Amino acid sequence: MAGRRNGLAVLVEALRTWLVPYRYGLERWSYTLQRISGVVITLYFVAHIVETGYVVGGPSVWTIRPDAQQYAERVWTETIKFLSNPLFDAGLAIIGFFVAFHTINGIRLFLAHFGWGLGRPTRPEPMHRPQSMSPTQRALFWASIAFAVFALVYTTNAFFGVLA
Amino acid sequence: MSGTSEVLLRVYRYDPSNGGKPRYQNYRVPTFRGMTVLDALIYIKENLDPTLSIRYSCRMASCGSCGMTINGLPRLACFTQISELRSKYILVQPLRNLPIIKDLVADLDEFFNKHKLVKPYLIRRDVEEQENPREQYRQSEEELERYVQFAYCIKCALCYSACPVVSTDKSFPGPQALAQLYRYYIDTRDEAREERIRIVDGAHGIWRCHFADSCSQVCPKGVDPALAIQLMRREMMFGPSKG
Repeated sequence: MAGRRNGLAVLVEALRTWLVPYRYGLERWSYTLQRISGVVITLYFVAHIVETGYVVGGPSVWTIRPDAQQYAERVWTETIKFLSNPLFDAGLAIIGFFVAFHTINGIRLFLAHFGWGLGRPTRPEPMHRPQSMSPTQRALFWASIAFAVFALVYTTNAFFGVLA
Repeated sequence: MSGTSEVLLRVYRYDPSNGGKPRYQNYRVPTFRGMTVLDALIYIKENLDPTLSIRYSCRMASCGSCGMTINGLPRLACFTQISELRSKYILVQPLRNLPIIKDLVADLDEFFNKHKLVKPYLIRRDVEEQENPREQYRQSEEELERYVQFAYCIKCALCYSACPVVSTDKSFPGPQALAQLYRYYIDTRDEAREERIRIVDGAHGIWRCHFADSCSQVCPKGVDPALAIQLMRREMMFGPSKG
């Protein structure tokens, strides 16, 4: 908090503002969840590309090998065996939650950024509630949470059969 | 000061002329009904520790001088009663996102420079009219209502302190400046709409706002900067509204 800030201080401050949404209301939670889910989805996307690359044989996929069929089958089997792990399944369920939330909440933010679904300017009276977080915005935020929970339950059931 | 109970204030101390290492100091302060955090800090200064630096003026939430972080949230010390915090322990720190001059006094230079950047005054195309107005500029009630909420700003910098974007991007004008930009942009007496758009139309300008809405949550006057920023973006995307 002192005067001059170095790179580490900026990073710590960034993580703190991302990860500590307390006290600032619903929209700050939305901000934090949107950022975390965005980072997680990006990391997953990179990992997914790497994983898929291995399945199809990595860079060698561009070369027609005599044993291409057998090679692909062997790598596919090995990869599936490696990924058949409850930890990866649980991770995919969480990814399902984040993807659903990020999508619906992202559409809400897209609309809000262009001024749609917001309240009108009003003279502030005591106990004023910001019209930026209008009932429409709150409803859409909770809808994105509900959709994400549904995705989480669906994927958890798909992997672990919890509803069976 | 006939208090029957007391509260523990843990106050941020920082003196650049004395090594500049931040620390915290505890003070026990007797409370009374209706006591504000500013009252408690003044009690400390008058009775316990005259070296404590604070900034205040009107004591009635009009001047915006006594902004500080109280129990983790930017608030006006004069507008925050001890009782509303519902705690016998109060953590008092200076405003975030701003350099510290001493103790609880934040340096507001960068905040006011950004405010100046958006030209917070009416601009007329006619230079002579700008310098020597010849007539009154009439407005309807409806035209007034479009911006009057944003004219309530007292420049206390609470919104600036709460903004997560300002924390990591010092080029970002911040919610206060952007709300004032919209306040003048939408004013029918102003004639510098294109000029105002050019000021903030950039990657580190108005498009940088992530709509965390924290600015609007902490504003003590109900100005709602987040609403002004989103409405301004709508104007920039879809063209100026009528009027």
